[in-house]
Amino acid sequence: MEKGKISSLQMAMMMYPAIVATAILSVPSITAAYAEQDLWLSPILASLTGFATAYIAVRLHKLYPSQTVIQFSEQIIGRIPGKVLSFFILVYCIQSTGQITRAYGEFIVTFFLFKTPLIVIIASMVLLCAVVVYGGVEVLGRAAQLFFPVFVVPLILLIPLLSPNFEIGNILPILEGGMMPPIKGAIMPSAWFTEIFLILFFLPFLADREKGMKYGMITVFVVMITLVVVNLIVLFVLGITTASKEYPLMIASRYISYADFFENLDAVIMAIWIVGAFVKISVFYYVVALGTAQWLNLSDYRPIIWPIGILIVQFSFWSLPSTMEFSRYQNTALPFYANFIQVFIPLFLLVVAVVRKRKQIGSKTS
Amino acid sequence: MIRNMSKLLRKTKKKKQNQQESKPQDALHQSFNENVEIFRSIYENCSDVVFRPFSIFGKTRAMIIYIDGLSDVEGLDENVLSPLMQETANESQPFNELLENKLPVSNVKKVNLLADCIESISTGNPILLYEGGSDGFSLSLAKWEKRSIEEPAAESGIRGPREGFTESLQVSTAQLRRIIKSPALKIQSMKIGSYTRTTVALAYIEGVADQTLIDEATNRLQRIEIDGILESEYIEALIEDNPYSPFPQIKSTERPDVACANLLEGRIVILVEGTPFTLIAPISFFSLLQSQEDYYQSFMISTFIRWLRYGFFVISLLFPALYVAVTTFHQEMLPQALLLSIAAARETVPFPALVEALMMEITFEALREAGVRLPKQVGSAISIVGALVIGQAAVQAGLVSAPMVIVVAITGIASFMIPSYIMAISVRMLRFPIIFFAGTLGLLGITMGIIAIAIHLCSLRSFGEPYLAPLAPLKGRELKDALWKSPLWKMGTRPHFTGESNVYRQAQGQAPSSKKGGESGN
Repeated sequence: MEKGKISSLQMAMMMYPAIVATAILSVPSITAAYAEQDLWLSPILASLTGFATAYIAVRLHKLYPSQTVIQFSEQIIGRIPGKVLSFFILVYCIQSTGQITRAYGEFIVTFFLFKTPLIVIIASMVLLCAVVVYGGVEVLGRAAQLFFPVFVVPLILLIPLLSPNFEIGNILPILEGGMMPPIKGAIMPSAWFTEIFLILFFLPFLADREKGMKYGMITVFVVMITLVVVNLIVLFVLGITTASKEYPLMIASRYISYADFFENLDAVIMAIWIVGAFVKISVFYYVVALGTAQWLNLSDYRPIIWPIGILIVQFSFWSLPSTMEFSRYQNTALPFYANFIQVFIPLFLLVVAVVRKRKQIGSKTS
Repeated sequence: MIRNMSKLLRKTKKKKQNQQESKPQDALHQSFNENVEIFRSIYENCSDVVFRPFSIFGKTRAMIIYIDGLSDVEGLDENVLSPLMQETANESQPFNELLENKLPVSNVKKVNLLADCIESISTGNPILLYEGGSDGFSLSLAKWEKRSIEEPAAESGIRGPREGFTESLQVSTAQLRRIIKSPALKIQSMKIGSYTRTTVALAYIEGVADQTLIDEATNRLQRIEIDGILESEYIEALIEDNPYSPFPQIKSTERPDVACANLLEGRIVILVEGTPFTLIAPISFFSLLQSQEDYYQSFMISTFIRWLRYGFFVISLLFPALYVAVTTFHQEMLPQALLLSIAAARETVPFPALVEALMMEITFEALREAGVRLPKQVGSAISIVGALVIGQAAVQAGLVSAPMVIVVAITGIASFMIPSYIMAISVRMLRFPIIFFAGTLGLLGITMGIIAIAIHLCSLRSFGEPYLAPLAPLKGRELKDALWKSPLWKMGTRPHFTGESNVYRQAQGQAPSSKKGGESGN
């Protein structure tokens, strides 16, 4: 079905924006709401779920090296239960693709193109993503690799550019309310870290499979560092008002001002962020297309790219009546939903698979 | 000449239908008269074909057939006709051997088939037919007018060899051979084009170029069935990987040194008779942004110029679009003073920035195209009209703002910094949709345009090599010749994709240093 091969580095460069692109927008304010000035601790705690997910995913992959989760779930728990489980995974993926697309559209409309209809922005992005998904995992990997520096270098540049506005004192007092606030703040970002689960769809196409675990872990680690740094930047610039902002990093970047020329760079930041959002939506889109094709036992996923694109656009409107509703959903339902699908289902599959293999080996030796 | 030959072949085909006995693949007849008759009917109405009957050693009847203007007539007189007509025969030797001994021509080939005879005559080698033999002799006396070797017009430079390929294939292959003297340089030739019978040569270095690449190239060339090849673009269009791409996937050059540099990196070079432009494959996106001079000067200068070129490549693609986006959607990005001066300049302009930009860009393209096409004598007219009307009058009349003229001028200069002319054109072409996106969605539109182009580039391949290599897929070792230019002594390895079969091109550790001896010791 998919003949392309990618390197594990390409996979990491795909997964990094796939997690970070939306996380850097909303994670600071969400964590700040619970952890206040300790918000930088939350990503570190949240990353534990990321490491666990990556570990589970790679272990599962090693048991079934050439299959994705959609395929081997049938082998682990039987045909019908496997299909049902895969169905849940696919519905989750397509719904979150819709939500990501919507979040992207909302962000652009709120900040830049106030009068442009949301559907134009969403549909044009999904169209672009459809083109890259059509190219297959190889093109997706190369595009991610090409865009990775475009996305990361400006993020790093933000630190020196914003440093004149830093109020390092904002970080104090550390752990004023004990460990509980950062832990509470970590629950929400963990939803993003569990997205590393998607490597289950890319590991079978790695040219260097033995490095899968290494790069999966590196991805989670770098994501953690990025979120800690972003949270710190926001904290240093905005202080405890962070929680009240919808997109704190965007607000913080407006403080950039150099030589009376480099000012109001938020449009540039947006242009760069779009690149990250593109990679993120493409990765999810690809996973949905590939997974659905495997779920339906199709010989190729390309014919269903277009219908799935329409579904994604539809889901972006169906699943979210309003942005208020979305942030409520993000704060209450999503962490548990995401953890259930992306951590507990793979964990369950892994446990069953390991037990079964043990039994098989036991029956063979006896 | 080409038209003549195709006519000639068409004639042959007609004759084929009329007279069943003389198919081109047939062997020559036993009878001399019969053979002469066949040739006369084939070359009926071909006024440029000369039939010269004479007698060898005064007794055997013979005939020389050649095309006027393609063969060396003096050589024919001196080396063929005079020895054969004047000398007397030594009866003891067989006639065939005797002929070979008596002909002071460097390359004499025996031909049996009618088709071979026609081929030989068409390429300028006279055919000698004689009584009593079922074969003829092809005498290598081809000689026609050709252009002398000149400096390549489209790829000039300050430093480096000044000679370019010419239209003559033999001269071109000789130029390659003069640079790469090793017998490992192989040049395979084939004839393509049912009427033009154009010689196309595939050059590569054995042991450096990958065998699968050579086979692939040979296959693709042999697949071509066409009436004529008039320029190497005909070949390019028929063998490239993705014909629906604005980007060239095969590089063309008219410099022997560039061709040889690519041969040494394991690529193949395709030379086509009748054009100085040879094809190089496989190539990457970056090789189209490199010029031969990057290798003929210090690595620091090369790196600086390369970065400049990359920067202006981006400007050439995006600058007008950025101007449109910023003035239409993101005015807050401009500092106040600049914004005010632009606003003041745009005050009288009746068009939105998008229309203004498209108008000016199209005018610039028209000027450029007119400049290429027009006769040299009226060249100055275009530049006067361009400079005065577009630059001065349009601004004074308030039709176009002065900043827009500056933007278009810088973009125009930027596009000429791209060494590959074809690449520059594709960038210019892609500029228009991006301007349009910028006018409708601002910076978002530009980013979308860039993403679309990037996706396309990521999916392109040139003879199997990923187009964006070594950046995507990333090959850290190869960045030495793409993102920057490493010093020569650090370029120890050939490019990953084409040079896999023979990785090292020079000894390691050749960095020059005063410690290595050779200094005077004071």
